[in-house]
Amino acid sequence: MDYLVAVLLPQLLHGLVFGAALGLLALGLTVIFGLLGVMNFAHGELYMLGAYAGIAVVGVTHSFWTALIVAPLAVGAIGAVTEVTTLRPLYRREPLYGLILTFGLALVFREAVRQIWGGDMRRILPPVTGSTPLLGMVYPNYRLFLLAASSILLLAIWLFFTKTRAGILVRAAVQDAEMLDGLGVNVPRVFTLTFAGSAALAALAGLLLAPIFTVYPQMGVEMILLAFIVVILGGMGSMGGSVVAALVIGLAQSLLTLWMNPQRVAIAIFALMIVVLIVRPRGFFGREGVLE
Amino acid sequence: MKRLTWGFTVLVALAALVWAGAPAVSQPKVVKIGDLGSKVGVFEGYGKYQTWGVQMAVEELNAKGGVLGHKIEVVSEDDETKPAPAVRKAEKLILQDDVKLLVGAVSSGATLAVMDVTKKHKTIHWNSVSCAEFMRTTKFHKYYFSNQPDSRMQANGLAKYIVDKMGKKVYIFYTDYAMGQSDGRQFKTALEKLGGEVVGVAGAPLDTKDFSPWFGAINQSNPDVLFVAFAGTDSLRLMTQLHSFGMTKKYKMAGIDCFLLQQDLASIAEPMEGFVQLNHFSPYNPDANMQAYNARFKKKFGTDANIAAGSYDAVLFWAAAVEKAKSFDPDKVAEAHEGMCVDNTHIGRQCIRKEDHQVVMDMHLYQVKGGKNLPIARIAGSDSIGEAMVGKDPVEGFTWEIKKK
Amino acid sequence: MNRVLSWRAVVVGLLVALLPALPFMSKFYLLLAFDALLFGAIAMSLDLLIGYTGLVSFGHAAFFGLGAYSTAILLERGVLSLWACLVAAVLVVGLYALVVSYFATARRGIYFALLTLIFAEVVYTFFRYTQTFGGSDGIQGVPAPRLMPAFAIDTPLRNYYVVLAYLALAYLVCRVLVASHFGKVLVAIRENEDRARFLGYNVQRYKMAVCLISALLTGIGGALYPGRSAFATPDLMLWTVSGEFIIMVMIGGLGTLAGPVIGGAFFVLLQEKVSSYVDWYFMVIGLVLIVIVLFMPRGLLGIRAMLGFKQWRATA
Repeated sequence: MDYLVAVLLPQLLHGLVFGAALGLLALGLTVIFGLLGVMNFAHGELYMLGAYAGIAVVGVTHSFWTALIVAPLAVGAIGAVTEVTTLRPLYRREPLYGLILTFGLALVFREAVRQIWGGDMRRILPPVTGSTPLLGMVYPNYRLFLLAASSILLLAIWLFFTKTRAGILVRAAVQDAEMLDGLGVNVPRVFTLTFAGSAALAALAGLLLAPIFTVYPQMGVEMILLAFIVVILGGMGSMGGSVVAALVIGLAQSLLTLWMNPQRVAIAIFALMIVVLIVRPRGFFGREGVLE
Repeated sequence: MKRLTWGFTVLVALAALVWAGAPAVSQPKVVKIGDLGSKVGVFEGYGKYQTWGVQMAVEELNAKGGVLGHKIEVVSEDDETKPAPAVRKAEKLILQDDVKLLVGAVSSGATLAVMDVTKKHKTIHWNSVSCAEFMRTTKFHKYYFSNQPDSRMQANGLAKYIVDKMGKKVYIFYTDYAMGQSDGRQFKTALEKLGGEVVGVAGAPLDTKDFSPWFGAINQSNPDVLFVAFAGTDSLRLMTQLHSFGMTKKYKMAGIDCFLLQQDLASIAEPMEGFVQLNHFSPYNPDANMQAYNARFKKKFGTDANIAAGSYDAVLFWAAAVEKAKSFDPDKVAEAHEGMCVDNTHIGRQCIRKEDHQVVMDMHLYQVKGGKNLPIARIAGSDSIGEAMVGKDPVEGFTWEIKKK
Repeated sequence: MNRVLSWRAVVVGLLVALLPALPFMSKFYLLLAFDALLFGAIAMSLDLLIGYTGLVSFGHAAFFGLGAYSTAILLERGVLSLWACLVAAVLVVGLYALVVSYFATARRGIYFALLTLIFAEVVYTFFRYTQTFGGSDGIQGVPAPRLMPAFAIDTPLRNYYVVLAYLALAYLVCRVLVASHFGKVLVAIRENEDRARFLGYNVQRYKMAVCLISALLTGIGGALYPGRSAFATPDLMLWTVSGEFIIMVMIGGLGTLAGPVIGGAFFVLLQEKVSSYVDWYFMVIGLVLIVIVLFMPRGLLGIRAMLGFKQWRATA
């Protein structure tokens, strides 16, 4: 019982916090994948841009909360411009071109940030300070805030996709863009806005995580592989699946660390992925036959 | 097969371009030296200061007429912190630019790979930043010299102070790749030799985002001292997270010299308060040599110097050895290095040990106060350097197992 | 000359063989040329998969790295014969490729790419953490391999000719392959997999076979690498390296064999030259990629079409 409360529960909480944050990052990735069939390599860089845009806004206004609104909007705008100028011409081509294009975009974004802000690492101070005694340890309030914020955001996104006309349109576009076009919907605009939304979501994740994970130009490239794993496990294009998979990965990493070396944890997660891809390639919740 | 003709045309055009882009044949009376390090990526802070240290030494030497009547020119290259590009760039510096001295690299893996290049092409090689224990032991070669205290030297210096002044029960937390493993191993060996108790060890992978899953194990083993062997962004993230969990106040913290560089401390002053680090240099050390060096450095580059700027001494030692050998011949210069002392290094008089080409560096233990590394104790180089172990395995018989008391 | 090997190819080959005679080909440029030809050859092997069969492998760095590790391990333990190293590399890479291709070819499209990626990550993680093979430092400082007991490949010039021979052989293999019936089936699979299946071809077996050939060619290239660099490290197997291989193919032009060779060489030279002058060379590489994807989908070889030459399709 002591073991459960003193060891397992804190570990579960660590995993939950990390998993929820990862879910925010993976969600935008999976929507873009479902919509465009492209694994967006630049998603990690949009996440990074969010953190840097946050630094810029905090520098001017000294308010994290303002940054939390302004930074995702700014990055969303960058995303929209990127989509219109570079991705739109590629929709009729093989997905491979989109993949390589986003690889190039990632390099450009990363280097641009390095030129503007320098390569040094930076911190953003958490807007919520202090800690709460919890499960025999002191738990930082910001992590609890992060858990709450991610949960509310995920819920809001779920409501958006199920209850609003815009959300249903996006889901319809994920299912069958041609059909939507036939129904007279301006599909390119749906694509652009969805890409911008996904970019804004990545930026939001970047800024929310910045006080814990710190900020530097490579922060995105280090997260993107993990985000890919989440998207695959959850089933590509499945939003609910991504969230579940993110929590599974967060919890697995945190719990396995108790009993295993880090390298075994990494291999265990890869092994899980291989089994999933072979036995059930559509992931936990993916639709059968999607891009198989 | 028209595409092949075209392909070849493109290839020839490229070759011509490459040739045209190649630096012109050097003027007579110019000697080139190479600076190889991480200029882009998570360790670029270390590489930047290494370059500045080299540049400053060269400027000062040139003002006094250069070396052996030659004006010195620096060629800087980025190794992307990986062995393969490091080797290619080292070859470029040696074979193309004909450098007579190569300073670098930043990461241990890259430095080890470059050592094979400098050995093969007989080039004087100074390492001023990376600290794995294999460089002056199993991988040692005639042309290799170092003025960076390696992990063994750092562990010897730190362990004694920790056992005497901070506490006997120590938890070792390290970054699980060459540098961290090396520091963790040497520190564990040194600590156990001095009667300290290692109550736990754990390694976290490079670029770990969230360290909190390891915190439970640390808290459970209830150490007096938490020894951390990390570098770069990992250090910053780790300290931020330890602090938010109240652990920087709960335990006494100690770490290796490259844990965080001086210029990073300002942004993380509060979590780092009280942290004990072993360094050979700090801009806040009242030592006259360091102050004079730092003043010149600050005037030139607008910021305080740090340990990576020790590359300054590497150039001084090399220039002195060239003058002594009266030649740029690598064999003669290497021999001239052995046992040589230089008075005006950035930390005062220093000598190179003949046996393993390690500079016997006097170091200080520093404690962070208000974002500044302030000296608290001096460690003589002769006390920490340890025996010369050229050709011997420095980790023979080592085990991570914890001896229960 | 038949249609597999034209006289032009022979002439180009001979000219490249004479390259070291040029006055500016210093030792360093020979080593750079080694890298350019080596990665060109690897990009060409990858083109068999991407360009001809339509399978995007995101795990070729593992084949390359495994080849490099088998050579480095043997050299480190005193087995100096190049032939022994090559045999070992073929066995190791072949075995691994068999497993990967068996599982990966069972899936199409993005799933194939992801399975190859994850398998490669497992290999990377294994070598990264296994202390027997040097952990994150890898195996460093291995001696030069020997072509014959008394003939060590220890100069840049000898290395250059070894890699040239490898490139020539790999090119022949690929040419013969794409000109054969086998190659036509691959293109048929790329164009319409289901149709190829209905025509009675065992699609998976064809895919596995081409995966294996591509992996072995890449693995042999890897096996030559420690002879030039004296090391094998886990960084060689990073997933970003696999990404670079794909970029080389794209730069050169999909489904052209000769294009990726040029693409690989171009990439190596671009990185080497630009990085000496500016510290923002990753942006240059990123921009080159974007420009190629948007405006030159046929890669560098596509320039011919822009200049009014006859268009050429990757039908083999």
